[in-house]
Amino acid sequence: MNPSSLHSQPKAFSHLYIERKVLDHPKTHAIREKFSASHVIIIDHYKEVFNRPNQNFAAQSQSKNLILAHKEGKFLHIGSQYSDGFDHKQFFYASSVMGCLYDCDYCYLQGLYPSANTVLFVNLEDAFQELTPYLDHDTLVATSYDTDTMAIESLTHQTAQWLKFAEEHTNLHLEIRTKSANIKALKKIAPNERVTLAWTLSPQHIIDKYEHATPTLQQRLKAIQEAIAFGWKVRICIDPVIYTEDFDVLYPPLIESLFSIITPESIEQLTLGSFRLSQSHLRSLKKLRRSDIAFYPYTVRDEMATYPEPIESYILKSLLPKALQYLPRERIRTWQRQS
Amino acid sequence: MIYLITALDAEARTLVEHYRLKRDTSLPYTLYRGDNIILLVCGMGKMQAAMSVSALLGWKIPNNDDILINIGICGAPPSYSIGEVLLVHKIIDGNKHYYPDILYTHSLRETSLLCVDSPQESILNYPVDMESGGIFLAASKFFKLHQMAFIKIVSDHCEPNNVTKEGVINLIHTHLPILAQLFTTIQTIQCSNTLFSTEERMQIEVFKTHFTKSQGDALEDALSYFRLKNPTTSLRLTTTPIPDSKRERSELLESFIITLTA
Repeated sequence: MNPSSLHSQPKAFSHLYIERKVLDHPKTHAIREKFSASHVIIIDHYKEVFNRPNQNFAAQSQSKNLILAHKEGKFLHIGSQYSDGFDHKQFFYASSVMGCLYDCDYCYLQGLYPSANTVLFVNLEDAFQELTPYLDHDTLVATSYDTDTMAIESLTHQTAQWLKFAEEHTNLHLEIRTKSANIKALKKIAPNERVTLAWTLSPQHIIDKYEHATPTLQQRLKAIQEAIAFGWKVRICIDPVIYTEDFDVLYPPLIESLFSIITPESIEQLTLGSFRLSQSHLRSLKKLRRSDIAFYPYTVRDEMATYPEPIESYILKSLLPKALQYLPRERIRTWQRQS
Repeated sequence: MIYLITALDAEARTLVEHYRLKRDTSLPYTLYRGDNIILLVCGMGKMQAAMSVSALLGWKIPNNDDILINIGICGAPPSYSIGEVLLVHKIIDGNKHYYPDILYTHSLRETSLLCVDSPQESILNYPVDMESGGIFLAASKFFKLHQMAFIKIVSDHCEPNNVTKEGVINLIHTHLPILAQLFTTIQTIQCSNTLFSTEERMQIEVFKTHFTKSQGDALEDALSYFRLKNPTTSLRLTTTPIPDSKRERSELLESFIITLTA
């Protein structure tokens, strides 16, 4: 044994937990091949690992493992009030992955899940089957809701599968929200005007402090430029805005630097929204004691925690005029608590 | 603190000598203690193991940065070499399955482990022991999953009659450097989520007595915010005398919280 090798953190997915029933799924074979050095542990059901009591989210975040499973229940869920359905008749989010490779301090997944590990449901074909009856009508599906599917695309190829499915169903609109800089999947398929790639941007200082293991702002901007050049529809989300004492020197300049690189005409929309979280998720975040974001003195109303009204208004009043210098109002979406 | 659990005296012998542990008679179990180590000889079988580990941990309740390590011998199929050191990633105890989190690099062979009720003379699919299920069951009430490790050294190919006391002592002795290194590794990944020192905590608790429960909760949040935002800045609770008036106390708290979260 080489003692010096003992002190490093293992690579991501050093352990693959695999449900017995998906051992022979083609995706399982592909992932096992890709992670041939990982320890494989056969399990009966993903919940016996993912839902174990007494896991430590913070410790697991430093060394995430992967669980391959078969989704038995519904893949599709009605979109939440905290998200924008963009006026589509039907709005679902798809839950084909649980957990995220990224580790953002403000993310509700920390409060939602007992584990920082990632569950990948390999039977995505069942999601398409479930969705098909709804596709007589205009339908939006957010594919990157409980995860960042683009971040994990090289492993799952689920984005590519969704894009192919959307190509064949003309009432289906996709929103793929991401912080990833990996856009290989987008280069292999023709752009589809019913697919919106929604990139979340934050100032680099906020990324460094709160968005662990995510691509830098420059990497995200480069990916956006490339996606636009390939002909994809792109929405920019400066959402959530994390309010700090440096807000004035961080966020308005972010809008300036964004549009110094990307022409305003080339993006569909810009979304501005301050941080918000359900009270129950915020409670769970507090228990982790990982970040000051959890302990800010938010205003809680109707089970939703937001910045106090003066700060929420200040955020919008600072960012909206700045955005209006580049985009007409109808192409800027804002999130503000309904009074 | 490292909590070491062995089933047999022979498994404990080398560890007791190496770490210069002293016998402790505080519990009705064989117990040894050193500066930063407690070693429990839990006895054979999962019931004995669960009971004695529960007693130990109920007596000395572990902290967030403590670890528990079960070290012992095991029988194994012939695909495992005699003397091989194994790190357990799954314990199969009847229809119960337990998964300790292994969140560190190591060069040991990982394995599933069957926890059985009696010494095994027939070859099974996995290495076997008789305590891991009981130890996990009891310890997981006190430790997070990444704070526990189960290390087994293959003593025989399911020929328990060939295992001698001297052989067991020798196996542990031979692998002592590996074990010691692993203890260090596992300790390095532990993270304490205690935000305040003992002294600060005492001051906070005294300060909170002047306020209602919900005011105390708001104060805790503000203090946590302050500490996470300014990890190196020392905490200074207000030195203003606490007013008698309820309204003035509330105002004082409110202004203090604003200062902390500014």
